[in-house]
Parts: sequence; structure tokens; C-alpha cells
Amino acid sequence: MSVLRALVLVWLAGVAPALAAGPTEYQVKAVFLFNFAQFVVWPPQALGAADAPFSICIVGEDPFGAELDVTVRGENVQGHPFAVRRYRDPGDIESACHIVFIGASQLTQLEKIVKSLGDRAILTVSDIDHSAERGTMIQFASEHNRLRLRINVAAAKAAGLTISSKLLRPSQIIGAEAG
Amino acid sequence: MRAAQLGWMSAAAFLALTIARADEPSESAAELKKLSVEELMGLEVTSVSKRPEKLAATASAIQVITHDEIQESGAQSLPEALRLADNLQLAQKNSHDWAISARGFNTSLSNKLLVLVDGRSVYTPLYSGVFWNAQDYPLADLDRIEVISGPGSTLWGANAVNGVINITTKSASNTQGLYLEGGGGSHWQDFGTVRYGGMLAPNVYFRIYGKYFEGDAEVLAGGERAHDAWRQGRGGFRIDAQRSSDDTLTLQGDLYGGSGDHTATGELRFSGGNILGRWSHTLTQDSDMSLQTYFDRTHISLPTAAMAFAPAGVIADDLNTYDVDFQHHLRMGERHRVVWGLGYRLTHDVVSNALSLSFFPPTLTQNLFSGFVQDEVMLRPEVFFTAGTKLEHNDYTGYEVEPSVRLLWIPALNQTLWSAVSRAVRTPSRIDHDLAEPAPSTGLVLLQGGSGFKSETVVAYELGYRAQVSTKLATSLSTFYNRYDHVRSTAPSPEPTIPGLPFPLVFQNDLEGHTYGLELSTDYQLLPAWRLHAGYTLLKEDLHVKAGRFDFSDAHNETADPQQQFSLRSALDLGRNLDVSTALRWVDTLHINNAAVVGIVPSYFELNARLGWHPTPKIELSVVGENLLHAQHPEYGFPDPSRVEIRRSLFGRIQCQF
Repeated sequence: MSVLRALVLVWLAGVAPALAAGPTEYQVKAVFLFNFAQFVVWPPQALGAADAPFSICIVGEDPFGAELDVTVRGENVQGHPFAVRRYRDPGDIESACHIVFIGASQLTQLEKIVKSLGDRAILTVSDIDHSAERGTMIQFASEHNRLRLRINVAAAKAAGLTISSKLLRPSQIIGAEAG
Repeated sequence: MRAAQLGWMSAAAFLALTIARADEPSESAAELKKLSVEELMGLEVTSVSKRPEKLAATASAIQVITHDEIQESGAQSLPEALRLADNLQLAQKNSHDWAISARGFNTSLSNKLLVLVDGRSVYTPLYSGVFWNAQDYPLADLDRIEVISGPGSTLWGANAVNGVINITTKSASNTQGLYLEGGGGSHWQDFGTVRYGGMLAPNVYFRIYGKYFEGDAEVLAGGERAHDAWRQGRGGFRIDAQRSSDDTLTLQGDLYGGSGDHTATGELRFSGGNILGRWSHTLTQDSDMSLQTYFDRTHISLPTAAMAFAPAGVIADDLNTYDVDFQHHLRMGERHRVVWGLGYRLTHDVVSNALSLSFFPPTLTQNLFSGFVQDEVMLRPEVFFTAGTKLEHNDYTGYEVEPSVRLLWIPALNQTLWSAVSRAVRTPSRIDHDLAEPAPSTGLVLLQGGSGFKSETVVAYELGYRAQVSTKLATSLSTFYNRYDHVRSTAPSPEPTIPGLPFPLVFQNDLEGHTYGLELSTDYQLLPAWRLHAGYTLLKEDLHVKAGRFDFSDAHNETADPQQQFSLRSALDLGRNLDVSTALRWVDTLHINNAAVVGIVPSYFELNARLGWHPTPKIELSVVGENLLHAQHPEYGFPDPSRVEIRRSLFGRIQCQF
């Protein structure tokens, strides 16, 4: 009898984003993605030419709405302007991505996506439960309505990415090897 | 009544504060980007649970008690956690019994509140109330408790007359690892919880738990020890599987048993178990469904006091419930969101009668069929109109209709104005219909169920306002006016057993009347480390006997409620891994009656406090004090020498999560 939940969902689907007064979950996650670009070091060749964009790619359904675009608008990483790209199908992900965000819609596809990216210098981020154990480099977890990071350092290292201690210190480190 | 004035003043002050701060801008991406990683992690975000932020846009008087609030409060039982809801009347009767209701009618047989644990109804059809001592869960694994005051009958059906309590436990995926809790003290003498959560397969999580506690006896007015010490043990599991992003499966179950001292020699005993399965499936982007089924078994045995013609004895009740529930929600076009559902419940109840208290027939099987449909229409982008009804068929009164209409208006960002009109019914319970006290074989029945007992009805008019004024301040005000009809009364039988005596008294439906009141609740984040909460409830009740009819209790026996109550809570992070939370409550004088004789429980202030220390993020040590202001105080009961009073108590607790 989860009628209430069902009903409230029905009530809210269209209204909730407009009402949220405090930061919403994906507002904060968008800011985290922006911060990852500052606190992770990519190999120089991965960033490409001086004016090449720094791409954050969202796979599957986009839970951010406009939040991510608003967050990175006018910002840059070492002179590379941000770009946000969206891919319905994981098969379409291009090598131009620097961060790949794997949302809840890709629950069953997670391992496949991580595997397809191989050891390329792409930071994988997901909010699927236990995705850090399943090979994702950074996982968003929630604890008491606050966001926590779970970081699979070995997976990042295998891709040639260095994660700053500023990010590692407050986060939970997961030991699993890259999947 | 100075305390009452204080209540009004604080309510007014919070409203004034709300209005004064209405222009404060909300957090923007630019501000968030200035924060450090640690600060970002410290932010409380809305809808992290992947559920929509429901409070802001719900057209009903809903209050949500979060997992963190329960933990901070030091609550050790569900009723203690429910004290955090401002929109409930809650009184502890003795060590192991509580009276809990919304919008009044909180008698010892209060019957207008529906309580669900993970979608499973826990009220007993014996009297449409809840045996609170048989309900529990490891509180650390609760996700939230939603308390809705006002009728929820269009969705939940009969019994959701004045409110619904929805207790939700966490998904097994959020309770991974080993959790240990233990402690003890003066009232909660000793208690312990063990929980372990793991993964069975990718995306299939489980947890198992065990919990045990012992509660010491309270005292009588003269300070003598009452006979009400109690203990309970329970264990259970929950498995959550996400087969794909479209399918979620849940299987869960519990077993419990316990006992409580009732008199010098008699003992209350309770035990039971349940198993529940739920499948939620997304059909298309615009439609999803859920199917839930459960089996629940409860056993209760209760010593009964001797009566004029009957010796003391023991009454026992064994209830089996089988329930299946289907729901489908879908979007139709741009404007309509429809939800409909079907339900069936079979209850098989076996009472083992005592001479002093009995039910006829002792064994009863009942069927409950229900269906509902509700449509929410977007009239304008900021105006939503909802209309729906439930149609039920029960064995006592046949068909019952419980419609409601709701209007939600969002005049400005972060502000919601809502209004609702609903009709709800309380269908007869076994006590209304089948009771014989004492049993007919004694020769003289004093109180008897009414074979023609009808459903009690209410039409409720509600108006509410909610504002998330800034990231720091949120407030909500709900007002209501309820008209009741066919409320339970007792009248002498037209065919007295002994001519000249008014017995048996038979349950009738000859009371009517109205109630009105308001519920105000405000949260304020004064500093990043200091959160305040204030709540106030006003409840006016006016029940009377219908013209030309008679009630043995003169309309005094269906209510036992404080007219006003308020609470002030503070949660303060002291730094150095220490935090302290305090909860002050004031409860107005409670008029409680023995038939037509009016009794009183005096108004009182009480204070709970908890000091917590986290030497590491995984360990918490805490000291909790409950009812600190008085050595003992009564919260409920007719003022006679057997009335139990609640002692000041203290306990220590350690919680570890590995």
C-alpha cells in the first residue's frame, strides 16, 4: 500500500523542481562534477588542443535537467571550456568525453559501460548503489540526506587519472579493482 | 493557561519570522561552487532519497519524521519516535501502553487512526485501534515516518478517519554491513539490536536483524511500583532486488513475542509474525504499477478484571490477515495524472472468551473489497485539482463511499496553499458489534455490541499553508473543521435482562458534533550547527447526544484530548564530535472520563534530552534522559489510585556501524 508515495509522485512530478528551495540533489551533484574537473588530474594528451572543450557526458536518462549546464556555464578547466554532452545509448559514447556520468537508468548496463571505456583517461561517476565496487571511479552515495563520495582509487589509477587528496580525504575509499 | 498563551505567542512569532524572511534568496549554483568539498558534503539536500520532495506540494497535513530526527531524539520505541510529530495526540498510559490519535478521540479505545508499517496495516479489527506494545522495529533501520492528520480514506479506506501513520523501513541496499546497538538504564533496563546486511547477487540486497529490550515498571501516584514491567524480542529480514531500472522486488518478514505485567499476578502476552512481498514495475515513461501481498498473524492474551457476576479471567485473540493490493498510476495527456487500485483483505479472527469479557461469535471471518480512483488535473501550471473516491464493501455495513476533493495552489515559488474536503467512515469493529461484557452465561450482560451498529462518518474541511521560506526556514500551518455523525454512544437496551435495571447497555450511533483546530510546525536552521523546531496544536471538540436520544456517558466517553499542546526542539552540534538535542513539550489538561464522571489529567511540561559523542564516524555513545522535569507525572487515565504515572528515566546507549 505505497499509495501515498504513488500519489504524491503523481501530484509532484511536474511541480517538484520549481519548489525546491534548498539545493536539490542534482544541483549539488552538478557542482561536484564541476569540482571533479578541478581536483582530478588528466594526462596532458587527454585534454587535447588548447581550445578543445572539456566534456562531461551523461549516459542514458539525464537527471540533471539544466542544472549541470548552469553550473559549468562560462567556466573552464586549465583554459578548456566546459561542454555537456548527452548520450541516450551507451554505445554512442565518444572518446572526447572526460567525465562520464552513469545515471540510475543504466543500472543493468553499468559493468558493460565501464568495460567499454577500458583504461581510457575518462573519469567514471555514478550514483548507482555500490557502483564503486563495480568499477566506477567515483560513486555518489547518500547518507542522512547528505551526499558522500565513495572512490575506487585503483580504477582511476588504471586509467591514468590522479585524484587530489582534497577529494580523497573526506571520501570513503573502496578497494575493489577496476571491473 | 499561561502556558497556552506562550504557545500562541511562539506560534505568532514564528509566523512573523516566516513572513519577515520571505524575500531571502535561495541557494544558487554560483554560491554552491564557492563551497569546499567538505562543505558540499555537509549540505542537507532535498530528495536525496530519489523520491520527489513531497512535503512542499502535498495537499494534506503531512509531517515527516526522518531517520536522523529519530536517532537524534534518543527514542527507543516507536511511540517515543512518534512524539516528534506535532500533529498527534500521544499519551503514555503505563510502561507498555500508549494512547495515540490525530485530531482527537484519543480514548483508551481510540479508533480513528490507521497505522501502516511498510504498507502493512497494524490496527486490529477487534477495536480498530493499535496494540502499540506489539509494534516495533530497529529504529536505526527506519527510513522515515509520515504522519498525516486528516482523512486519508480516499486512498487508504475505512479507519483512516482522522489520520494515517506510515512507517517506512530502509531498503536493504541502504542497511549494508554490521550494526550493533546496546545499552541500558532506569526505564529501558537493557536493550540490544544486531543487524547484518549484505549482497546476495548483483542488485539483490538483504538484511537480517534481531532486537530485544526490557522496560521497567512505572509507578502509582503514591510512588508504589506499578505492575507493568515488560519485555519484547523480535527478528526479521528484508530483501530488495532491482532486476532492472523498471522492476523492484521486496520481500520482508518479522517474528516477535513479548509480555508485560498487567496486574500483580496476570500477564499480557503478545506474539506474531508477518511476511510481505511487493513488486513495482514501470510500464512506460508515463505509467507504473505495484502489486503487494502480505500475511500477518497476531496473538494477544490479556487478563480481564473480575466483574459483578464474573470472575477474573484471560481473553485471547488470534487474528490472521491475508491482504493483496494493486495500484496503477498513469499520466493521461498533458494535464491528467490518474491513480487507481484494487484491494482485497480477508481476516480470520478467533477470540477465546473470558467470562468477564467476550465476543460473539467467537470466530469470525470477514472480507473487505476495495477499489479507488483519483485524478489530479493541472488547471493551470500552478493550480492542481484532485478528485477521487474509494468504494469499499465490508461484511458489517456493506458498501461505503469515501470521496475527497483537493485543491493545491502554488502562488509563488516555495509556497503552497491547499484545501480539501473529504468524507471518511469508521466501519464497525468487532467490539462495536460483537461485544458481551460479561459473557451472557453469567446471567447479566452489562455492556453489549449493537447488532445494528452503523459506520461513524466525518466530513472534513481542511485549509493549509506551507512555505519553504529560505534554505534555513520552513513552516507549515494546517487548519480543519470536522463534522461527525453516528459516533458511538451507549444506551440501555429496550429489553432489559432484569426489569428496572438499565442493562445491558448497547452500543448505538447517537452522538454527533464537530471539532476544529490547527497544527503549526516550523523548522529553523539558526546556525549551520544548530537546528530548531517548534510545533503547536489546537483542538476544540464538541460532541453531543442527538436530539431525542440518550447516551449513558453523556457524550464524554469518546474523547480524551488536550485542547492545546506545543513542543520546542533543538539539535546542536557542539563540535569535537559532540552533539546535544533537547525536546520540551507542554500538554494541556486532559479531560478523561469514567462513563459520565469527568476526570482530569493535569497539564504538564516535560523535557527529553540526549548527549551524543562520536569518537569515530562509526561509533556513537549517547546518554538519554526522558521526562526529566518531574520525578513522576501522569499522562493518561482516570484519577484513581491505580492510575500509573511515568517516571523520570535515564539510559546509556552505544551504536556501532561496521
